[in-house]
Amino acid sequence: MTTRTHSLRRTVGSPPRTGGAPRARRLGVRQRGSYPASFLVPAFAVLGLFFFLPTIYNFVYALTSWSSFSSSIHFVGLQNFTDLISSGTLFRSLRITVTYAVLVAVFQNVFGLLLALLLERDTRVNRFARVMFFIPVIMSALAVGYVFQAILKPTGALNTILGDMLGHAVTIPWLGNTTWTLVVITLIHAWKWMGLSMLIYLAGLKTINDDVLEAARLDGASAWTTFRDIRFPLLAPAITFNVATALLGSMNGFDVVQATTGGGPARSTELLNIFIFRTFGQGLFAQATTMSLVLFLVVAILAFPVIRVLRKREEVL
Amino acid sequence: MTGAPTTALPVEMPQRKPRVRVGDRHGPWRRLQPVVALLAVVALIGVPLWIVVVTAGKSQGEALNPDLTLPSTWHFGPNFSEVWQQGRVPMAFFGSLLIMVPAVIGVLVLGSLASWILARRKSKAMAVLYALAISGIVLPPAVVTIVLLLRQLGLAGTAIGMIGVYMGMYMSTVIFFVTGFVRTVPIELEEAARIDGAGPVRVFRTVILPLLVPVLSTATILICLYVWNDVFYAFFVVGGRLDTLPLNLFQVASAGLYLNNWHLIFAYVILMSLPLLIVFTFAQRRIISGITSGAVK
Amino acid sequence: MKRYLTAAAAIVAVGLLTTACSDPSITGPGSSQSSGTATVQWPDATASLSGVTLTIWAAQNSNTTPKAVVAAFEKATGAKVNIVTIPDPYEQGVQTKVATGDKPDLAFWQPTGSMLTALNAPTNLQPLTGAPWITNLNPALQDMTGILKGTRYAALITSPAVEGVYYNKDVFAANGITTLPKDWNSFIADARALKAAGQTPLFEMGGDRWATQWWVQVQLADAAKSGLWDKVNTGKEKFTDPTILDAIKTYKSLIDEGLFNKDIATANFADQGAALLSGQAAMVVQVNSFFSELQAKTDTATLNKKIGFFPISPSGNTGTFIPDQSNALVAFKTGDAKREAAARQLLSLWMGKGYPAFIKDLNTVSLETSVPSPATVPQALLDVNASLANSVGSMQALAVANPDLYIYLADMIQGTTTPEQVAQQTQDQFAQLAKAQGVAGF
Repeated sequence: MTTRTHSLRRTVGSPPRTGGAPRARRLGVRQRGSYPASFLVPAFAVLGLFFFLPTIYNFVYALTSWSSFSSSIHFVGLQNFTDLISSGTLFRSLRITVTYAVLVAVFQNVFGLLLALLLERDTRVNRFARVMFFIPVIMSALAVGYVFQAILKPTGALNTILGDMLGHAVTIPWLGNTTWTLVVITLIHAWKWMGLSMLIYLAGLKTINDDVLEAARLDGASAWTTFRDIRFPLLAPAITFNVATALLGSMNGFDVVQATTGGGPARSTELLNIFIFRTFGQGLFAQATTMSLVLFLVVAILAFPVIRVLRKREEVL
Repeated sequence: MTGAPTTALPVEMPQRKPRVRVGDRHGPWRRLQPVVALLAVVALIGVPLWIVVVTAGKSQGEALNPDLTLPSTWHFGPNFSEVWQQGRVPMAFFGSLLIMVPAVIGVLVLGSLASWILARRKSKAMAVLYALAISGIVLPPAVVTIVLLLRQLGLAGTAIGMIGVYMGMYMSTVIFFVTGFVRTVPIELEEAARIDGAGPVRVFRTVILPLLVPVLSTATILICLYVWNDVFYAFFVVGGRLDTLPLNLFQVASAGLYLNNWHLIFAYVILMSLPLLIVFTFAQRRIISGITSGAVK
Repeated sequence: MKRYLTAAAAIVAVGLLTTACSDPSITGPGSSQSSGTATVQWPDATASLSGVTLTIWAAQNSNTTPKAVVAAFEKATGAKVNIVTIPDPYEQGVQTKVATGDKPDLAFWQPTGSMLTALNAPTNLQPLTGAPWITNLNPALQDMTGILKGTRYAALITSPAVEGVYYNKDVFAANGITTLPKDWNSFIADARALKAAGQTPLFEMGGDRWATQWWVQVQLADAAKSGLWDKVNTGKEKFTDPTILDAIKTYKSLIDEGLFNKDIATANFADQGAALLSGQAAMVVQVNSFFSELQAKTDTATLNKKIGFFPISPSGNTGTFIPDQSNALVAFKTGDAKREAAARQLLSLWMGKGYPAFIKDLNTVSLETSVPSPATVPQALLDVNASLANSVGSMQALAVANPDLYIYLADMIQGTTTPEQVAQQTQDQFAQLAKAQGVAGF
């Protein structure tokens, strides 16, 4: 089966297939009528109006003096950008956001893959377990935030359990440590979404051809070798999807963090979106829009190399 | 098994122990695996959910510090009914449905139509359009300017505005999944229909759409998840005007200022998650097969 | 094709730039023009309003305040009033929604100059000139707050909050403190004595953060009286100058000295209330909403017995007033003249005929000279109200902009910043906000 052209590949500039490929046929003029471009219009109209237009607005307002303090708005050029860069808070938020995204991508995928491997066979126990692990995916991020706030308080359930196990009172401030709380909340985020990663990896494992695995078994490969040399590489499409969406999607993170730490302690978990929310709340609308624009650009810039690297792995197949 | 030819000695070769491979192991792992699986479920999922359920059943005083202990008397009845009223659950449920159903149907129909074209027609223009179309998966939507735009269109605070916003946000997801899937549909099927005289609309409706059901199921569940639970965008667009389940969770959680009413918050969380959970339990297999066909090809 | 796309995008952008030159959230024609001297009509408080629906925005801690008045209003006029809770952070939520054009009829709002500016009062709010109840108010309170550039925009409904010390009477008695501290030095001396006796003297909620700024502000009371904030507002004095910086440093040194609770970094609002009530801590520096929390935990008799209040300042007992969001209401210009009048009518009822029932329902101090406070109001609240007469304004009340001093102080408590950095960050943010407002000198 060679029908694996995901056109994400096109976004990173690899040349389109030219005619002569046995499977993809070039459409002649007659056949173009069978695929009217008018079918594209409704979807692109919605996209254009509700997605691209606000994004363009973002570009525009970032160059103005829009604030809650006055009704007139005038053009200020790149002033907002220079102010933002020189104050240093933008870089700090960006650093925290990128760290968050990378950690989430790692944790979510490692947990998801481990779960998929654990629950691979279609037994009743496994099917039950899969449903259970999908429950956090279904819960709202806000709900997850509240649940873990209650569990991780200094007097919360986790410390109580640890205290019972260790025999003395434990009051670790899980959400109050300026260095490690960021890791804690990425674990919470990964906890919420690992069920989805697990499902995608399960699906990916199922697409691996049994003949290949049978051949490996006959050759005497051990479980680990089979995994490392055959199954893991063949999981590349699943990995692409999971890593890309986890990494790039959590650059836009807000809910979980806002509900657990609100950006604290000491703003050590203040993601860019939370910073934007706070700045907007002070009435500095143009500055907030500028930050939103910076986030957009950073994600766009990150997306290309990430997807290219992941796609390259798939091409080996 | 190369090597210098040796004189064959009539020695019996020891039996080779059958190697086990992942996913189909015999022996110790097969018996151990369910135990490990269940332990993982209990520790990772069971404990937090237990806390939620148990706290939802407690009175306010007992619920001040949510922990693993059982309530002295179960307060499910009073808690759920208080949440039902305070959180206006029926209204919120209706509000969430009112927004989610049209948004999902709209984005699936429009997205599939566009995906079909993008999958079948190959040209530089189409490639660019495709790139644009799926950029929404990773690029963050601009919440403030969206609301500003809605204001200018006169749609701020309306359900239609919210539906439009969600459609705009998730159109890329649908196009991403469906385009990849359509490419796996043999073109001969369409040819056959066309030879019979069907126009593009008929071809799409009778040939493509039925085959898209698995991937559309996946897309449906994903988008339903996002829209059902979204609070950030809903707050800006319809907050205060329309009730949705997550927005009202926010209200319920805020109602107890000096003494967090965890019992109510968790009761609400249970009510809110139940519909989706029920749907998922029954549709589990179809969802997985949908993901198989849609995401990882 | 790509070229056409970029060209199209450029044209759209330019087009948007030209339309963007005025704030799109301003209501269209029909909205009343702002003018401080225009006469404002005040309808009769109980005139019929059937068919009119009003919306009031309230915060988590103020959403039960209007209930009784609203019920009375609905009954008397036939109007319908919806109370909508905007989740915390309240001010951010409100400003965001107003920025995108979503406005209520009435909202709770901090009546200080800086916050009225933040809401762009001249454009968004109805002037309350000539409000019929103003002359009924205690003279000291009539023009204390709610006024921006000579025009009244906010209606004060409850006694403005005052930053001061709430103390546990039992702990004081048990440790032989029989007279209340007369100035800052004796206040700290008492705290040290308590610590020596093994009692936690002070409690701070570093986890919830927002109260940290009171410690700095009460130390600035004397300076505020001599015009500190005027100087800051014109750029002549900065947060990094000794007056304010030393206050921050003193706060830090008190924490380092061990006069506060051990869990200062994670303690929250609920912990603070519980600690003072139980006597685990002797004193907290807080505002009225702290006392409301205590009222939610126990009854008036217990509070009168256990909890007392005294204001504190460097040289005496001058309170620092800080009217907060739950103390006042603003009325919005919605463009609908009928609803705007109805909103004013609700305010008239609230502060007029409906006032006695209102303060009785809330069990709070009366602001009006002819309406006595209910007998069940705790003594501490009466003391707070009494201290208003010679109190001085806080940063929120007197500065043109409201930087997040409390967040930076909380960072300092976490140990990630120094007092100098706190001052610098506060100054930077203040300058940024002042500049955005167009204040001269920034």
